[in-house]
Amino acid sequence: MATSKNGLKIQSVLKTDVLIIGAGGAGLRCAAAICEQRPDTRVVAVTKVHSPQKSHTSAAQGGMAAVDPKDPLDKIVYHMFDTWKGSDCSADQNIIRKVCESAWDQIVWLERHGMHFSRTDEGRIAKRPFGGHMLNFGEVKAFRACYEADRTGKGIMDTVWAEALKHEVIFLNQTVAVELLMRNSRCVGAVVLMEHTGAFVAVLAKATVMATGGKTRMYQVSTNCRQNTGDGLALVLQAGLPVMDVEAVQFHPTGIVGPGILASEALRGEGGILRNAEGEPFMERYAPTAKDLAPRDLVSRCIMNEIREGRGCVHPDHGLPHVWLDLRHLPEHVHKTRIQEVCGFFRKFVGVEPQSELCPVTPTAHYQMGGAPTNEFGEVQKDPQHVVDGLYACGEFAAASLHGHNRLGTNSLLELITMGKVVGDRVVEYLRDAPEPGELPDEAGHRALERFSRHLEARGTERFAAIRDALRRLMMDKVGVFRDEKGLSEAIEEIAELKSRATQMALSSKTLVMNQELIQNWELNHLLDVSYVIAQCALARRESRGAHYREDFPDRSPEFHYHTLAYMPEFGKITLDQRPIDMSIYEAQGEHYERFAVIERKY
Amino acid sequence: MTQQYDIVLKVSRYDPDVQRAWVQDYSLKAGGILRFVDLFRKINDEQDPTLAWSSSCEHAQCGSCGMRINGRPLLTCELLVETAMQMFNTSTFSVAPLTVAPVVRDLVVDLERAYQRIHIAKPYIIAPAPPPPEGDEYRIVPKVLDRYVEATRCINCFCCATACVTQKNHLGPNAMLVNVVRMMDPRETAMKQRAGLLYGEQGLPRCRTAQACSFVCPKEIDVAHFIALAKQGAFDPVS
Ligand SMILES: Cc1cc2nc3c(=O)[nH]c(=O)nc-3n(C[C@H](O)[C@H](O)[C@H](O)COP(=O)(O)OP(=O)(O)OC[C@H]3O[C@@H](n4cnc5c(N)ncnc54)[C@H](O)[C@@H]3O)c2cc1C
Ligand code: SF4
Repeated sequence: MATSKNGLKIQSVLKTDVLIIGAGGAGLRCAAAICEQRPDTRVVAVTKVHSPQKSHTSAAQGGMAAVDPKDPLDKIVYHMFDTWKGSDCSADQNIIRKVCESAWDQIVWLERHGMHFSRTDEGRIAKRPFGGHMLNFGEVKAFRACYEADRTGKGIMDTVWAEALKHEVIFLNQTVAVELLMRNSRCVGAVVLMEHTGAFVAVLAKATVMATGGKTRMYQVSTNCRQNTGDGLALVLQAGLPVMDVEAVQFHPTGIVGPGILASEALRGEGGILRNAEGEPFMERYAPTAKDLAPRDLVSRCIMNEIREGRGCVHPDHGLPHVWLDLRHLPEHVHKTRIQEVCGFFRKFVGVEPQSELCPVTPTAHYQMGGAPTNEFGEVQKDPQHVVDGLYACGEFAAASLHGHNRLGTNSLLELITMGKVVGDRVVEYLRDAPEPGELPDEAGHRALERFSRHLEARGTERFAAIRDALRRLMMDKVGVFRDEKGLSEAIEEIAELKSRATQMALSSKTLVMNQELIQNWELNHLLDVSYVIAQCALARRESRGAHYREDFPDRSPEFHYHTLAYMPEFGKITLDQRPIDMSIYEAQGEHYERFAVIERKY
Repeated sequence: MTQQYDIVLKVSRYDPDVQRAWVQDYSLKAGGILRFVDLFRKINDEQDPTLAWSSSCEHAQCGSCGMRINGRPLLTCELLVETAMQMFNTSTFSVAPLTVAPVVRDLVVDLERAYQRIHIAKPYIIAPAPPPPEGDEYRIVPKVLDRYVEATRCINCFCCATACVTQKNHLGPNAMLVNVVRMMDPRETAMKQRAGLLYGEQGLPRCRTAQACSFVCPKEIDVAHFIALAKQGAFDPVS
């Protein structure tokens, strides 16, 4: 067994059938699918947070799109079309079909397992409209998002977590996965660090599912939780596997300045107006028809433009640039009933009373469309033709890809539960005659223990906070809403420099037990690695597509009609590759196939 | 810059490596709209990286950052400096971990242990009512849902359990809520088993109706109301 120079070692080995890395909505939907079909399966699920219930899925607000096949107005093909168009023609059509077609079944599964959906007067699941979801191929807004008040994510999380409990899934909480275990190109589990005890444990599994969720904490303002530091992507990269489309980072136009908490699109849906420092309702100038309700990527760009041209404000306490969201003119009952929670956020977190004061908002990093590339069964790919035996991925961590370069609101929660189930089914099949994971590979833990040793032994006077803040600022400025060759090239150099500075952060305490400083230094390296790959991929994509906007190449180009693959087994040693975009609906030439051609994206 | 305040935090610390507990004072300058979690981060960044504390979503949706500030259990991600100064009429605050589970380090408690009570209460549907036809959902009209929907908002932050006057042999208010929700949920049929949990030894008989739970709940759930319903025997299958 591996032992590092300063005595770090794997203290014990745990054997299981399935290891789930990341016990959020996607990971536990998958766990439930496995246990339902194969009740005697041993499933171990690890999470960084105190309890699976605290995973970030719990923070999702708006809803989850699904068309009931019995719906008299809405059709599954409309949902498929909207998703394709929203992706700026770079989602995979086999995935779009699979997810949209299984959507309603998964809603019904959640409902039958106890989720507290909001209801219509008839007692059926209620639905609300959401940006980009339309009837008749883009004509009028559709009522398609099933929801549980403004806490849909919590409803999902509570339900799948409870199911996992019922099936006696073994949870390792406050535990971080630190290395994937590979043998003869098969994944046989992972090494984890249990923070409460400070013990490194090797979990040997026949099948490993990665579902580590979002990864946008490298931006100064982000809706993501403290734990979303890109660990999963870093682990995959370190194992020599590729990541896909990571340049596609969605910025939500209205994050609450400072904490970056999401202020839902619903505020503008109810009539809220964006204003610059001069009080001008500037969206009228950019988008005379759609105004404040133009698509997310467009509104974010307009806000950033106002700020760059000097018509933004600077928040006195947080020192961050922003514009205003004006809700003062909305009727009292709207404030009290329909936007009550989010208005509460403004009151609580920035001390602003939305009924009488302007609310400070700024674009906030929200969601990464890219992730670990998988095929339509959620099997992780090592290249476009081959998968890694025994390794699966789902949820925001994975890119199958349902979202291409831009995700529609409410399609992410949908992806968790549909693809979570798909992966569960596939794992059950795999387990039928999967070989045992065998003994611990000789090299096991070597890389991870080395890294922890380096952190423990680091000398120097570099400060964690300085590097973190510099990274977060530069990602926002140069790899954010607007990008260009100069900024991206500078960013790449600066990240490399920060990476070398990050080796010189001496620890104040060398304990392994609940040492937050150690973990945050370890995480910072992931943020740096993933940021570096994002910047490189963004530099290589010399076009604009969805959320990836290049000022020097403002149009979409047929030349870039592919997914970006990036490998970086060691920091800085990057190779790029391509994966074709699946156009199977178009190619099948069935009914409405022409809607699934490479079409213009106009709203 | 808006006004800066001089704040003193008296933080309960615990080092498991040498099993030592002490109170450490941190003095810092902070703007009025900083949250307590921002103060902890500031301490980590500027004074003492070893101070351990918990949080995740940092907007009162996950319930990871509950602590006792001047004795009162609350979520530190939604407590602004100015609010705290008004609430307690001071700029010196004691910061201590929740009491529902053993401390791991400093302000981090072993919430997993506390969660055992929730596991006992079984948050899932134990025995579902006969299902509707294939592809269809159960029907629950808003009038029925409205009776218990407030209780479904609980995020298991354990603030109520910390404030509760009965600390021993008691599942605590939030575990009671888990049970109450499913007893009011028309999809659940395991009423006998649930009543056993609710009215059992570690359940309602231990409640002394102090209503501290409703008073401290950061989600403003009237926990005591639901417990009162249960006390009236509203869900007792025999009554
Ligand atoms: C504020 C907000 C609102 C949103 N609203 C909506 C909405 O209305 N509709 C919609 O469709 N989408 C919405 N989204 C997006 C959607 O919520 C997320 O994409 C989704 O919840 C991610 O789920 P997940 O299961 O993939 O990851 P998560 O729920 O984040 O779970 C990830 C899990 O992995 C664990 N983990 C991470 N790293 C490690 C590691 N190294 N070792 C061990 N465990 C690890 C975490 O602790 C966690 O348990 C929203 C997102 C945010 C932030
Ligand atoms: S009832 Fe309120 S205080 Fe108690 S755990 Fe739930 S949210 Fe927290």
